[in-house]
Amino acid sequence: MMFTTGTDKSIDRKTGLLKSPAGSALRSIIASVCCILGGMLVGTIILFILAFTTKDIPISDAVKGMTIIFGGPFASGSKSSTLFVLGDMILETTPLLMTGLSVAIAFKTGLFNIGAPGQYLMGAMGSLITALSVPTNGSNNFWVWLLALVVGIACGMIWGAIPGIFKALFNVNEVIVCIMCNWIAANVVSWVFSVSGDRFINYAETKTKFIRPTSTNGVSTPKLGLDKVFPGSNIDIGIFIAIIFAIGIYILINKTTLGYELKACGMNKHSAKYAGMNEKRNIILSMVIAGGLAAAGASLWYLNGKNDFLWNTYSSLPNDGFNGIPVALLASNNPIGVIFSATFLRYIGKGGFNLAGYTHFNEYVSNLIIAMIIYFAGFSKLISDLLGRRRKKKTIEAQSAAVIAENTEGGDDK
Amino acid sequence: MAAPDTSHGAGTAEYPYVIEMRHITKEFPGIIANDDITLQLKRGEIHALLGENGAGKSTLMSVLFGLYKQEKGDILKNGEVVEINDPNDANRLGIGMVHQHFKLVDVFSVLDNIILGVEPNVAGFLTKKKAREKVMHLSETYGLNVDPDALVEDITVGMQQRTEILKMLYRDNEVLIFDEPTAVLTPQEIDELMEIMRGLAKEGKSILFITHKLNEIMAVADRCTVLRKGKYIGTVDIKDTTKEELSSMMVGRDVKFVVDKDEADPKEVVLEVENLCVHSKLHKKDAVHNVSFKVRAGEIVCIAGIDGNGQTEFVHALTGLEPVRDGKILLAGEDVTHKSIRYRNTHGISHIPEDRHKHGLVLDYTLADNMVLQRYFEPRFQTAGFIKFDEVRRYSDELIEKFDVRSGQGSASIARGMSGGNQQKAIVAREMDREHKLLIAVQPARGLDVGAIENIHTQIIKSRDEGSAVLLVSLELDEVMNVSDRILVMYEGEIVGELDPKKTTVQELGLYMAGAKRDGKEEE
Repeated sequence: MMFTTGTDKSIDRKTGLLKSPAGSALRSIIASVCCILGGMLVGTIILFILAFTTKDIPISDAVKGMTIIFGGPFASGSKSSTLFVLGDMILETTPLLMTGLSVAIAFKTGLFNIGAPGQYLMGAMGSLITALSVPTNGSNNFWVWLLALVVGIACGMIWGAIPGIFKALFNVNEVIVCIMCNWIAANVVSWVFSVSGDRFINYAETKTKFIRPTSTNGVSTPKLGLDKVFPGSNIDIGIFIAIIFAIGIYILINKTTLGYELKACGMNKHSAKYAGMNEKRNIILSMVIAGGLAAAGASLWYLNGKNDFLWNTYSSLPNDGFNGIPVALLASNNPIGVIFSATFLRYIGKGGFNLAGYTHFNEYVSNLIIAMIIYFAGFSKLISDLLGRRRKKKTIEAQSAAVIAENTEGGDDK
Repeated sequence: MAAPDTSHGAGTAEYPYVIEMRHITKEFPGIIANDDITLQLKRGEIHALLGENGAGKSTLMSVLFGLYKQEKGDILKNGEVVEINDPNDANRLGIGMVHQHFKLVDVFSVLDNIILGVEPNVAGFLTKKKAREKVMHLSETYGLNVDPDALVEDITVGMQQRTEILKMLYRDNEVLIFDEPTAVLTPQEIDELMEIMRGLAKEGKSILFITHKLNEIMAVADRCTVLRKGKYIGTVDIKDTTKEELSSMMVGRDVKFVVDKDEADPKEVVLEVENLCVHSKLHKKDAVHNVSFKVRAGEIVCIAGIDGNGQTEFVHALTGLEPVRDGKILLAGEDVTHKSIRYRNTHGISHIPEDRHKHGLVLDYTLADNMVLQRYFEPRFQTAGFIKFDEVRRYSDELIEKFDVRSGQGSASIARGMSGGNQQKAIVAREMDREHKLLIAVQPARGLDVGAIENIHTQIIKSRDEGSAVLLVSLELDEVMNVSDRILVMYEGEIVGELDPKKTTVQELGLYMAGAKRDGKEEE
């Protein structure tokens, strides 16, 4: 019978099984690089326009400006300064990586977690209160640190569960609940620290807008000699913990039955229900995981021991919470990709910071350029799809070869 | 089957063909969708265009309608070569199309929809009076019978289709293309449509009728052109041909219409439904009211009925997708009325769902992932929460082989990219291969061509013969009559009759389905 020829299947296997998974990862990477290049191009054009139209800025600054932004921490040229800035860059990458992961896993399961800032704040509060309340002997206390980290993550999980529960049980859009939860968190945190009075606020250094750094109670993230590698910076092992989280989430999403369920619910909740999955539980669960990850970012940042927490947060939300969105988008929601996209954004962030110092452009321009690049990150999906379409055409070519082979055989037996 | 003669001279008034597509070739990158296809449409005839899914019918019509440009070949109108670059050109040439999915504005009235795009106006102000007169006149001439002031969302699918037809007539189109027009209609509406088509042809309109339903072609068409895999197979006069010949031209092999099956041998009761009631989401009444029946192992019980009479809600209640208001569902004697979907899945219910895209598949998952949709948690496919992808792949390959599911990249294909027929085959494969006592198949052959339908019916009968109880829910009378051992007719949420397919007729069945007849009590 012409319908069961072996030819098409063998060809299909060759094109399909070998190329598909690697191909899509490659596509994502190419797409992200294209976005970055597009952002660079537009950024350069903006710099030139500004240089042309502003009397004070020489044209040469436009070229110099771009090399500084993309030089990142290396722009200064001196070795000691570079190591110091590089160390801080890595430290600052940690919370951004975690919020990026938080947004990415929610996206993977069909949810938009714009509540990362609120979860971040709750995590910060949980960790700071724990780290400053548990009595210690003043020297570095690993177990208190670990407890503070866990409490922080738990606070974020609870905060993430709220939009999840509303979505699952009452079908309320998670974006609305997330945004409300952000501001509720901001006010809850401000209120808690305002009524707890002098227990946590940094009166000692008369920085009354801030909470005491956890190092005052002898709690800080281990450094394991990293401060020797990057002298002068506050770097700790937080980045490794964040990378372990990223790998863990990658495994969870791609290798486990739970990940299979979460993705199925995100892609098509009707068929997930049809298949007997508990789609309500899964929606809540992915928001809980997302909340925990965002909170872990805050915990790792403030448990560093040197970072100040501005407790009077009711009027603004932490940037790192929102910046998780472009980090996730730039990485096409791939947890491993998030490691690189978070690092990249911090890298050009350092460059942007240097722009104002080394050229006549001011810091607003550098923010503008960075925003431009983040904006272009939004196109990564589009470019990835375009690349996919081209690849599909190639597959169709292979398929049609198979069909033709089948047809010829069919013609013979007819 | 030789190519048709295209050596006529052009340009005379008596030129027999109103539209002629000569040697049309349309290629897409890597695939030839239309390979040297010739189609000749006579004035005043109903010309069917027959072919399986993916045979190139839609591409050919898109070329005629100006949506694609052919690489080779000519289109002739009344014997003169014409250029059709977009649908506006097609419209100017008097070519109109009723699409499979209607292009109507739901919240507009019928009249507003008809004049949409060619609104009669004076200085920008609508002047509907003339338009209304013309629509009423056309409606009467062709027996279309629509209320011009009704909102589209309030009228039946059949009336919406007639609105589409009026749209073409209002624009004075003389070549009317119907793209699978009967897919959405009830048997009665299909008969009406056939009558309308005959009337249109008699008034001199030329009709191109795209379909893969052979009965309709035999009933209404004058001639039929068959395509297969992008190639022209032949054009035949309907009065000189048979259903069997058409189908073997279409599929390339002989197809059996009457499904071979032995006498049913019903054994123990597998499914027992007692006084089942299900709430409706649309209105305050029950969608399913007081339904009771039994299905035994080794028999196929078919629930027949016109779409929207509670079948969907009933199946959802059986499978756990919707809660039951009252009544009981017993599976092999066990009360499963309030059990979870997972419990029912793992305790013997296989379910081929009505909507394969909404329920049946996670379209963005690979075929392999879809094959284990209800089984990924079994020890065979996971250890300690980690999915054994090798085993999933192996199992999926096995099912693909066994059920002849065809896709671009085998197990690694994304379900979304597969053809409808193969998506359905994949679901059937998955549900058949799961251990089951009861198979619930809802419109398993919907939208499939005869070859695939034959395959799926064979599988369902095989499942019966292997000892499972089968509950088939179908809107297609052929399917109901051919496959089932017992027919239950559902009308407005109730079972109104039980029929034996060997003793009843399609006409009788139709009466039950339309609510004109019911067992037990007479109409009040």
